[in-house]
Amino acid sequence: MSGKYKTPMLDELEKGPWPSFVTEIKKAAKKSSMADDELGQLEKSYKTKRGYWKHGGIVGVLGYGGGVIGRYSSLPEEFPGIAHFHTVRINQTSGFFYTAKALKEICDIWDKYGSGLTNMHGSTGDLVLLGTTTENLEAIFAEYSSRGWDLGGSGSAMRTPSCCVGPGRCEWSNIDTLDITYTLTQEFQDELHRPAFPYKFKIKTAGCAVDCVAAIARADMSIIGTWKGNIQIDQAEVKKYADKGMNIQAEIIDMCPTNCMAYDGKTLKINDVECNRCMHCIAKMTKALRSGKEKGATILIGSKAPIVVGSLLSWVIVPFIKADAPYTELKELIRKIIGWWDDTAKPRERIGEVIESEGMRPFLEAIGVPPMPQQVKEPRKDPFFFWSESDFK
Amino acid sequence: METAELQDKIFAYMEKMKGKKKLKEKDVIKALAEETSEAPDTVKKALRGMIDVGRLMYSYGGGASSVEIPSEEYLREKGLIK
Amino acid sequence: MALPKRQTDIGPPKYDQFLPPIIKKNYGKWKYHEELSGGTMVHVAESGDKLYTVRVASPRILSTETIREICDLSEKYCDGYLRFTTRNNVEFLVSDQSKVDPLVAELKQKKYLVGGIGDRVSNIVHTQGWVHCHSACTDASGLVKAIMDDLHEYFTTKELPNKVRLAVACCVNMCGAVHCSDIAVVAVHRKVPTINHELVPKVCEIPTTVASCPTSAIRPNPKDKSVIINEEKCMYCGNCFTVCPPIDIHKPEEDGVAIVVGGKVGSLRTDPKFSKLAIPFFYNEPPRWPKVVAAIRNILETYEKNAMKHERVGEWIERIGWESFFKLTGIEFTFQHIDDFTFARDTFRTSAAFKY
Ligand code: HEM
Ligand code: HEM
Ligand code: HEM
Ligand code: HEM
Ligand code: SF4
Ligand code: SF4
Ligand code: SF4
Ligand code: SF4
Repeated sequence: MSGKYKTPMLDELEKGPWPSFVTEIKKAAKKSSMADDELGQLEKSYKTKRGYWKHGGIVGVLGYGGGVIGRYSSLPEEFPGIAHFHTVRINQTSGFFYTAKALKEICDIWDKYGSGLTNMHGSTGDLVLLGTTTENLEAIFAEYSSRGWDLGGSGSAMRTPSCCVGPGRCEWSNIDTLDITYTLTQEFQDELHRPAFPYKFKIKTAGCAVDCVAAIARADMSIIGTWKGNIQIDQAEVKKYADKGMNIQAEIIDMCPTNCMAYDGKTLKINDVECNRCMHCIAKMTKALRSGKEKGATILIGSKAPIVVGSLLSWVIVPFIKADAPYTELKELIRKIIGWWDDTAKPRERIGEVIESEGMRPFLEAIGVPPMPQQVKEPRKDPFFFWSESDFK
Repeated sequence: METAELQDKIFAYMEKMKGKKKLKEKDVIKALAEETSEAPDTVKKALRGMIDVGRLMYSYGGGASSVEIPSEEYLREKGLIK
Repeated sequence: MALPKRQTDIGPPKYDQFLPPIIKKNYGKWKYHEELSGGTMVHVAESGDKLYTVRVASPRILSTETIREICDLSEKYCDGYLRFTTRNNVEFLVSDQSKVDPLVAELKQKKYLVGGIGDRVSNIVHTQGWVHCHSACTDASGLVKAIMDDLHEYFTTKELPNKVRLAVACCVNMCGAVHCSDIAVVAVHRKVPTINHELVPKVCEIPTTVASCPTSAIRPNPKDKSVIINEEKCMYCGNCFTVCPPIDIHKPEEDGVAIVVGGKVGSLRTDPKFSKLAIPFFYNEPPRWPKVVAAIRNILETYEKNAMKHERVGEWIERIGWESFFKLTGIEFTFQHIDDFTFARDTFRTSAAFKY
């Protein structure tokens, strides 16, 4: 089955210390002629410097509008095994935690119905199964869903929410990222599987401003853990850092963006009123410093990749919201935000783009959030502002 | 209105619009809620019922998802017709 | 064979059934963590319990065979508990300290690279490329392999002033959000697509095709039942090709990659930043893209030499100024570097204070 193709270019990429994707494709090709044809076509791409995939063809499972991505070779006669080579997006677990037993079961099913190739994970967060045929889709869905695994989102729908490891293994997490993500994924099953939105909508949750899931850069809604109150200092541990050779003045005090820290060689002081909670000092002196006691989340909206008018980072909308189970306030806020976007957007407009074209004010009014200085870097510099009737009361 | 009757009306509307405009789920719900005076949620439920059994289907094109009448090919693939 | 009965709208299985007992017990009660090596760390809970993490590189594309091997290792050393990171590394979650060294030893013997923790280069976030996407103007996996073969010491052992986060996007759609990375490679087309006027009327919907262009460069050509592209307006995004394949955006001999630098997503010290253009173009040179690899090493080493401790690439560049960045790296400054897109005017210098 395997070894149909000579692949001198790709063989080059089996050399060297970094794990090789070519080796992975070859391993799969031992069992699957689909993977072997993928290898053959890829070698051709390396020779001719172009891809040979076609976009399109409507594929999916009955009742759902997403989760399967149609993919066809544009050279089906040359590479019949990948005439169909669809992607199946499976909901990952919160924080990407698995057991060997569960993963092996996922592999067994995939070997039976697909190419044996995966992405662990796709950039959306989903566990991605690469390469199967249209005829196999219903069977794949029955096998996985009967064992507790559901499909992820695609098309004009919500994407599977994803998050950082959070309280599972990180001392900096201010919120339960794993539980929030699981709860929201369950809450929005309908929005995930049945595309009714103007475009895609992504929710990513990070436990603190370090933002290990890059929520601020790649989610329409970024939920980032934060705190109120003073940073808790353990002076004995501060001393240990100093004793071990940390230059506290240069590495911590001088790098604090708000100049709110002081150290006299004995005691570390923080003027917490001035602290903007950037996480630098806590991340560098994790044994000595802990975030303040009142925990919550900052909600930011709008980031997206540059297509088409330029990239956006998410903007602060709600500086502080409580994020404790059962997350009622958070869920209500999300429903309001999505509702406004759904009513206001033109087709294929992400929420960040709609806020840009409509203005921040209608958005904030619709979701019932007052204007706050935390939402902007600076106030406007032009005198061309509007007044509404409601401003004259 | 009986669900079956509402679903027939939805189907009739879909046939009328076929080839004219790509309809989002929301477009269909709005049109039928107006035509029948049923609550949008009722229409949505009826529509979902049709999609679940393959009488209608979700489609994708132009970067956006839409609702369509399934092709024979699709129905055959799903084992709904021989 | 009869299929099991499908279920819908069940969502993913709940995370807690995959957490090792030590995490369940100390959930949300971690006190601190310490890096033990480039690829191992220990998290210490308030209860005093210790969880050891061993992180290894993965090419992201994994065969079921390799996943099973990873599972076997986790069963042997950590009761089958493992996780993946956002940057597609694999982590073994070990509760028994005595098993850490044997695990690391077996991983090394099996040629896994243990690393990616601390102030180092972690795995490269990337997308599908020629392996699986219609839109790709380079191969993401091949670039990643070539770059990381060269930089592997920065993954396993060598330390840098701070973390350096790399990304590769195989076209300007940037599905992987590379726009906020310390150093990233973005593949670009550079020529207006060619139109097959015979096929367009057969395959494409004209209004959809016209509407697909973000810069309104496409208008209908009723005479041929096809379309015309205004060459002045086209910025080679390839959206039209997505909608209408006879408008071919691929120009294998002219396609290639750009390098952008200085982005970050964390709020530590300075605000999150977008990456900015460092080098506008390299030709695709599969299978190993030697010029791209050398250029990335040059930027990384210049940063390593010049940045202050804890400065990210973007923070270092902002401190010294972009004019100094070009001088120190020896990278040529071209017309492509001067922005003429949506936010251009914000990038022009409005002060008489600058360096040479
Ligand atoms: C015109 C614009 C775009 C087109 C035509 C496009 C097309 C695609 C296609 C065809 C895939 C599937 C690749 C495969 O597995 O076969 C994909 C994946 C993806 N897209 Fe896009 N995309 C576009 C814009 C974007 C943007 C702006 C974002 C993010 C903000 C994005 C996020 C993603 C993600 C996260 C994936 C999964 C990628 C992976 O895990 O490798 N896409 N895109
Ligand atoms: C509705 C808005 C504005 C009106 C009605 C307005 C009106 C004026 C007038 C009548 C002058 C004096 C012109 C002259 O005698 O030569 C002037 C000068 C000027 N305006 Fe404005 N202006 C407006 C907005 C702005 C804004 C938004 C800016 C800058 C951000 C601006 C910057 C200036 C400057 C720099 C001068 C020259 C001052 C000088 O000669 O010392 N103006 N403006
Ligand atoms: C007129 C035809 C089409 C156009 C204009 C088009 C355009 C686009 C655009 C702009 C994106 C990126 C935005 C997004 O992610 O939603 C995209 C992504 C994608 N397209 Fe298409 N497309 C077309 C047809 C199709 C068809 C027929 C399929 C069939 C299955 C398809 C599958 C995908 C997939 C799976 C993505 C990946 C992104 C995602 O939804 O997660 N496209 N397409
Ligand atoms: C695209 C951007 C980034 C991604 C995808 C990313 C991903 C990750 C991942 C996967 C981890 C491991 C956490 C876990 O156990 O799941 C991590 C840890 C961490 N990241 Fe990031 N990260 C990014 C950017 C940053 C930035 C900008 C900073 C700081 C300025 C940062 C600082 C850290 C720290 C301090 C840790 C925890 C300690 C450690 O593992 O050494 N990361 N990141
Ligand atoms: S985002 Fe913060 S809480 Fe989450 S894993 Fe990263 S450092 Fe920890
Ligand atoms: S969190 Fe940031 S701003 Fe606050 S004290 Fe620490 S370094 Fe300074
Ligand atoms: S970045 Fe471009 S080429 Fe790469 S997966 Fe996304 S759409 Fe495809
Ligand atoms: S490549 Fe992009 S900008 Fe150029 S014509 Fe096509 S859609 Fe328009």
